[in-house]
Amino acid sequence: MKLLRRVDRAIATAETALLVFLLSIMILLDFTQVILRNFFSSGIIWADTFLRQMVLWVAFFGASLAVQERKHINIDVLTRFMPERSKRVSRLATDFFAALVCFAFFKASITFVTSEMVQRTTIFLDIPTWYFQLIIPVGYGMLCFRFLVKVIDDMLELKRGVIPQETVP
Amino acid sequence: MEGILIGLLLALVALLGAPLFAIIGAVTLIAFSFAQTDSSIAIVELYRITSQSVLIAIPLFTFAGYILAESQTPKRLVNLSRALLGWMPGGLAVVVLVSCAVFTAFTGASGVTIVALGGLLYPVLIQEKYPESFSLGLVTTSGSLGLLFPPSLPLILYAMVASLISAQSGSLSIVSVNQLFIAGVLPGILLVAALSLYSIRKGIAAKVPRIPFSWSNVWSAVRAAAWELPLPFVIIGGIYGGFFTATEAAAITAFYVFIVEVFIYRDLSLMRDVPRVMRDSMLLVGAIIVIIGSALGLTNYLIIEEVPQKLFQFIQAYISSKAVFLILLNVFLLLVGMMMDIFSAIIVVVPLIIPIARNFGVDPIHLGIIFLANLEIGYLTPPVGLNLFISSFRFQKSIARVTLATLPYIGILLIVLLIITYVPDLSLLLTRLFRVM
Repeated sequence: MKLLRRVDRAIATAETALLVFLLSIMILLDFTQVILRNFFSSGIIWADTFLRQMVLWVAFFGASLAVQERKHINIDVLTRFMPERSKRVSRLATDFFAALVCFAFFKASITFVTSEMVQRTTIFLDIPTWYFQLIIPVGYGMLCFRFLVKVIDDMLELKRGVIPQETVP
Repeated sequence: MEGILIGLLLALVALLGAPLFAIIGAVTLIAFSFAQTDSSIAIVELYRITSQSVLIAIPLFTFAGYILAESQTPKRLVNLSRALLGWMPGGLAVVVLVSCAVFTAFTGASGVTIVALGGLLYPVLIQEKYPESFSLGLVTTSGSLGLLFPPSLPLILYAMVASLISAQSGSLSIVSVNQLFIAGVLPGILLVAALSLYSIRKGIAAKVPRIPFSWSNVWSAVRAAAWELPLPFVIIGGIYGGFFTATEAAAITAFYVFIVEVFIYRDLSLMRDVPRVMRDSMLLVGAIIVIIGSALGLTNYLIIEEVPQKLFQFIQAYISSKAVFLILLNVFLLLVGMMMDIFSAIIVVVPLIIPIARNFGVDPIHLGIIFLANLEIGYLTPPVGLNLFISSFRFQKSIARVTLATLPYIGILLIVLLIITYVPDLSLLLTRLFRVM
C-alpha cells in the first residue's frame, strides 16, 4: 500500500515536471513562430505540427493529474444532494467504471500505435509519427492506474469511515 | 432490449457522477462493438484533433486566463471600471457587470468569476447600500456573463468541435474561430447593456449615494492597469484588422500575460507560482481534451449511421417552421445548460444540433452564439444551475434565496436571448462587415 502511494506520487511529480517543461516550450515556440511569420515572413516549417502534438501530450498529463484531484468533468446534479456515505459508495463504483473504460482505451490505442508503427508513417523531419502517438496508450495507461489508486482509496475510506473535508466547488 | 438496458445502466453511472469522458468512451466502444468496428478506430478519430490548427489556442488561452486570475488583475480591473463607471447612478452595479464580463471572457466560464470577483464586489455593494437581494442576484448573474466575448474558451471549443464534425461528415464548411470571436461581440454587449439598464434603474430607486467622477482617479487606475489594458484591444483589433488569427492571438496573449504578470507586475513568482498555475490550468485542458477525444469516436459512428438526418426527419414530422424550431432549441439548450457544464455540453450536443439546425436554415455561426447564450443562462436556471450553488456556497445564503434574487435577471436575459435568436444579423453583421475568414 505504501509502495503504491509512493509510486503514485513519483509519477505525479514526473508528470508535473514534464507538463511544465512542455507548456513552457509551447508558449515560447508558438510566440516565436508568430513573430517570424508576421515580421519576417518566414517560420519554422514543423512548428505548428509539433505544437499540436504537444497539446495532446500536455493534455494527457493534465488529465492524469486531474484524476488525483477529482477535477474531471462530471454531472453532479444527483450526487450534490446525496448523504456522505452513499456519495462514497457511488464514488467507488464510478471510479472503478472509469478505470475499466480507460483500460479498454489503453488496449485500443496500443492496436492503433502498432499499426502506425508498421506503416512507418513520418510526421516531419523523418520522425516516425508513432513517437508522438505513444502518449495515447501511455496516457490511458496512467489514467487507468490513477483510477485504480482511487478505487483503493475509496475502499479504505469506506472501511475507516473517515469523512473527507468538503471542497469548494 | 440489450441496448436499452446498457443505456439505462450508463445513464445511472453518469448521474452517480462518473467522469463524462468515461461515459462517452463507454458508449463509443459499445456502439463500435455492435457495429463490429475495431475499437482502435476510436483512437484514429481521437488523433484527428491534432489536425485542427486552433487546438493550440486551447492550452494557451487557458493558461493566460489562469495567470490573470491568480494575479492582482481582478483588483486592477475593478479599480479601473470603478473610476470609469462608478459615477453613474447604479454605477457600482454596472462596474460589477462590466468587470465580470471582461474577466469571464479571459478565464472561461466557471465558478472562478463568482469566487474571485463576486467575493471582492459583493461586500462593497452591501456597504454602498444596494439592496441585498439585488446584489446577490447581480453577482450570481455576472458569474457567467462575458462568455460571448473573445477570447472565451467556449467560443474556441465550439468552433473546433463544429469544424471537426464538418471534417468527419466530409463537408467543407468550416466554422472559423475568427468569425465566432467577432460574432459574439454585439450580442454580448446587448446582454451587458440590458442588465446595466436594469441596474441603473434599481440604483436610482434605492437612492444609492453617487460618487463624483474624478479624472485623477481614472488616471491612477489607468496607470495601474497600463500593461493589461491593451490586451482586449490587441486581441479584438488584431483579428478585426486581419493582422493575425485567433490562434496567433493565443500565442501572443499567453506570452505577453506571462511576461507582464511575472516580470513587470511581479504578482506571481516564477518558481513558486508559475509551475502551479501551469499545472492547474492544464488539468482543465486535459479534462476537456479527453472528453473531445472520446466523443469523436462516437460522432463518427453517429454520422455513419446517419443519426442527425434521422433526428431531423423525426423533428420535421412535427415541426416545419424555423421559428418554432428555434424556440424548442432554446428550451432544450436551457435544460442542457442547467444539467451540464459548458464544455461537455458543447462537445456532446453541438455534433447533433449543427446538422439539424443547418437543415432548418440556421447559420452555424449564429447557432454558436445562440448555443452559448443559452448555456450562459443555463448556469442560472433553477433548480440546479451551477452558479446558484457556487453563489450560495460563497455568500452563505440558502439556494432558495439566491434563486429568488436571480429571477429578475433571468427574465431580462431571456428577453435578450429571444432577440439574439430571432435577429441573426446581430451576430452576423460584423462578420460580414469585416469580411473575416
